[in-house]
Amino acid sequence: MKGAFEAPFPMDVYLHLIAQGLAIGLLTGVLYVLIALGLTLIYGILHIVNFAHGEIYMLGAMGVFYCYVVFKLPFAATLVVILLLSLLLGLGVERAFFRSLRGQWLQLVVASVGLSLIIQSLGWIAFGIQEKNVPSFFTGVVAFGGVRLPTERLIAAAVGVVLVALLYALVYRTKVGLAMRAIEEDEETARMLGIDADRVAALACAVGFALAALAGAFVAPIYSLNPGMGLEAILMSFLIIIVGGLGSITGTVLAGLLVGVLQSVGGVLLGAEAAYGLVFIVMIVVLVVRPAGLLGKA
Amino acid sequence: MLEILSITKQFGGLTALQDVAFTVGRGELVALVGPNGAGKSTLFNIIAGAFPPTRGQIVFNGRDVTGLSSHDLARLGVARTFQQTTLFGEQTALENVLHGLHRHVPARVVAGLLATPAYREEQREVARRALGVLELLGIAAYRDAVAADLPLGIQKLLTVAVALATEPVLLLLDEPAAGLSLDEATRMMNLVASEIRQRCTVVLVEHNMRIVAGWCDRAVVLHFGQKIYDGAPEGLTRDQGVVDAYLGVAELA
Amino acid sequence: MKRGLLGLLIAALALLPPLGKPYVLHVVIVVLINVVYAQALYVIMRMGYLSFGHAGYIALGGYTSALLATKLAITPWIGFLAGGIVAGVFAWALGAVTLKLRGIYFSLSVFAFAEVVNAAFRAFEVFGGPAGIAGVPRPALLGTRLNTHLQFYYVVLAVALVSLFFLYRLQWTRFGFTLLALRTRETERLAESLGINAARYKTLAFVVSCFFCGLMGAVHVHYLRFVSPFVFTFFLSNDLMIYVMVGGLGSYWGPMLGAVLLTGLGEQLFAAGYYKSLVYAVVLLVVILALPGGLISLPRILRRGGARERVLPVAADVSAARER
Repeated sequence: MKGAFEAPFPMDVYLHLIAQGLAIGLLTGVLYVLIALGLTLIYGILHIVNFAHGEIYMLGAMGVFYCYVVFKLPFAATLVVILLLSLLLGLGVERAFFRSLRGQWLQLVVASVGLSLIIQSLGWIAFGIQEKNVPSFFTGVVAFGGVRLPTERLIAAAVGVVLVALLYALVYRTKVGLAMRAIEEDEETARMLGIDADRVAALACAVGFALAALAGAFVAPIYSLNPGMGLEAILMSFLIIIVGGLGSITGTVLAGLLVGVLQSVGGVLLGAEAAYGLVFIVMIVVLVVRPAGLLGKA
Repeated sequence: MLEILSITKQFGGLTALQDVAFTVGRGELVALVGPNGAGKSTLFNIIAGAFPPTRGQIVFNGRDVTGLSSHDLARLGVARTFQQTTLFGEQTALENVLHGLHRHVPARVVAGLLATPAYREEQREVARRALGVLELLGIAAYRDAVAADLPLGIQKLLTVAVALATEPVLLLLDEPAAGLSLDEATRMMNLVASEIRQRCTVVLVEHNMRIVAGWCDRAVVLHFGQKIYDGAPEGLTRDQGVVDAYLGVAELA
Repeated sequence: MKRGLLGLLIAALALLPPLGKPYVLHVVIVVLINVVYAQALYVIMRMGYLSFGHAGYIALGGYTSALLATKLAITPWIGFLAGGIVAGVFAWALGAVTLKLRGIYFSLSVFAFAEVVNAAFRAFEVFGGPAGIAGVPRPALLGTRLNTHLQFYYVVLAVALVSLFFLYRLQWTRFGFTLLALRTRETERLAESLGINAARYKTLAFVVSCFFCGLMGAVHVHYLRFVSPFVFTFFLSNDLMIYVMVGGLGSYWGPMLGAVLLTGLGEQLFAAGYYKSLVYAVVLLVVILALPGGLISLPRILRRGGARERVLPVAADVSAARER
């Protein structure tokens, strides 16, 4: 897509484009936040960056294709199925792989890379190379203030915001959340205080996976699907958590929105590839100036 | 040979050190003392180059070394141990000391790549030196043991061996006897007070008064970041300020 | 005994090829290339840095040589070196920023860098865009272009042997030994207190690692006679990391073993496409969970019946101390 600068436009058209980009960017940002939050949650408790996260997102999107398009389940049922399956997958993966490797950073990272490869390969084998498309769940456009937003994206963003709020509630207002924060602070002491770190880790993994899968589910109607889509998602998530700070929920939220907006507005003004580069440059700047990220703990 | 000139260190709003000043003469064995939180480790870290002071100067052998990095200070002959027993855990005791000899082994990349006989002989010589340091501290028997597997007493001796291998002029020991049994601590301090101090000037951090009184020439006491005593260990129990600083007078008996 | 085996292997590699079919030669060439990549990566992995972006440096080397040969008609012999140097320079520049980061931050930043390199090659026409650069010539020796598999095989073998010899000897030098001291933030602090300028050592190690990647990358490209943004991807970086982890971090021969086994396996499964990745990943997970020290630790475990294994190699010339 060529940038808006290619052809001369009057100023108010630019402003309008930027406003549109800003709005869409925020909506996209919410979805980015969902994926990145799942990653942050898993990192906080298990202290690993889960490389398989992008593949979970892909599975969520593919799951929507199969449930909604192939099996023709209603939209709500599709979401519930995706939610349940991803929770189970998270529990399973934690139990099978992450638990036995606790404390060994290198092995955990590499194992998650291996896992991502397995899921992706299976994805290519099972889903094939033909790109799949999912029709919109909701049609229509909401217009206000000169900005036009697809209803679907608005609903997706709304659900996303609700999920983020639920996550905050989980982490900051429940006993489990307290346990999570304790483990993140000092696992050994938490264990000594009677917290079952393994159960909490399993839960964190499950919730993290669910967030990624749901993000994938909402993205399904927007882009065409292929088993390799996880790569871009994980790259974006990495950029977001580096900028926002590993382990900080609020940092991830802010960074996710920021990246969404940057990419969208940048895409409008400079073209898609350049926008990508812009996000990368921002990441490098943050890394140099504040290596722990905007709100991260070193 | 070491002059601490009016060091102040602030971390954000917290003043860890306030106008601390004293000197250490060549060949002395000085103890930096104080209850927990007094600022001993902070001062130590500043002297060792971990971070610079907010205000003040460190002069080493007539040269201003304030703010120099730790590897630069090592080049000038300052060596240290850490409060947390820090070793190259996955390597053997001998290998740990070999790292300590880094300063004294020239790089010689080409000869190394080609493994010339002269290079090999040089490496053998270095290994012999490393063994010598281990023997000095009485732990040569552990030379092929993996550092992380060693008992704490031996580990602490190893950390001193590693620091000593750099052949320092000034050796900074951070709580060398911490966590050791009475026997082990005695052994450690005997070594410090005899073999080690013959080779370099020693400043150590301690909060155990018995150790200070038993082995050190001089004691500098810090309390809440300020120096409250600087003199012979015998005078510690008589100084009101010191006594007040340490709750539990029984400790000083 | 080991020297004898090694000599035999090198002799076999040098003398047997004229007897082999071109396909077998192809497999051996690919194995040699991957072995060098893996050993180069090993230099920084044994220092505690996991890189997911080495393909970026390989690509830099490959593209450099390809561009020099096709646009400026510069002979590949110089191109190979140029590839290594360009990769090394980028490594030096980026190392200044990224090596300060530890653990996952480092891995992510090199990963991001490699993606940006690929994106740049994809985006700009001067690099050939998505189609890449075709018609990359083979080098010429004494008037003949080395166009056959057999002829170029010897080039690959020569570069590989020199690189591997250098990388092997490097870890036994004082420099290689000192790198072991920099594995974690804690040991790095200790090393600094002993007078070791950690930043300089890490940067140098990174530059060496990337130099050989760039060098072999250039050779690789001249072998393929083609390069594009889809040749050196994240999947290659992944594969290299898998070779090292499966082979084992505990010894110089580990990454080599991993590269030989998995590349050989991969070539057998090549027709199966995605099955290859699947098999690699499964092997990786099995090794990680069952044999953390990698395959190279197997003899040690069998010998001592499961004794605690050392993850790091023995220091340089300590055998000398044992003589006492």
